Amino acid sequence: MAGPCASEIRILLFAGLRERAGWAERHWPIDCTGGITPRQLWFTLQFPDELNQGIRIAINQQFADLDTPLQPGDELAFLPPISGG
Amino acid sequence: MQLRINLHSTAFEPLQVLACWQEEQAHRLNADSAAEALFIGRVRGVAADGGELEALELEHYPGMTEQQLERLALDCCSRHTVNSCLVQHRIGRVLPGEAIVLVAIGADRRGPAQRCCQELLEALKHNAPFWKREWRTDGSSAWLSGNTPL
Repeated sequence: MAGPCASEIRILLFAGLRERAGWAERHWPIDCTGGITPRQLWFTLQFPDELNQGIRIAINQQFADLDTPLQPGDELAFLPPISGG
Repeated sequence: MQLRINLHSTAFEPLQVLACWQEEQAHRLNADSAAEALFIGRVRGVAADGGELEALELEHYPGMTEQQLERLALDCCSRHTVNSCLVQHRIGRVLPGEAIVLVAIGADRRGPAQRCCQELLEALKHNAPFWKREWRTDGSSAWLSGNTPL
């Protein structure tokens, strides 16, 4: 028998994007069959930044494509331009 | 291949860390490297707008940053066939003059050591999730949107 459906994803924001959006973490309901993509979520959440301004995403802490279908239980992070080292 | 990666939430002295690392390597059988390449990056005292910098704040993505640093290091070290790799990186509030990153590569020859050190440094600058915010002496701050030129 299949386990209970997580039915939501966890969304994380960092650095300047977090401050401009006004939140750091949010749980977002998702259909148990998944399918919504980070690109679609980006526009649904109405972020103040332009998506083409160097924003990258990570799904479950790995870089991923903006059009990767999300699954219940996923951790999705929107990452503003990186500046390490 | 010996690999060590640490994130420091307080100031670290790169030459002391390096001395301990080299001491450990000296005691490992068949791990001696005839060539070592080092890079130490420090916070400059000038902000991107030319004003005086009070401090740099380094944010990271707990979990992913460590995983990504390890992935980048293993990939780079494998391609260059080096013996050892040490990566130390600051997080939190870093003051001008303090070390922000240390990369030390040990290899059999200078070519692989130097190439690996440079490539790994560039890889972590662009592909390890860190973000810098400049705090200026007037109390204002701004997130940086990229890296300084090579």
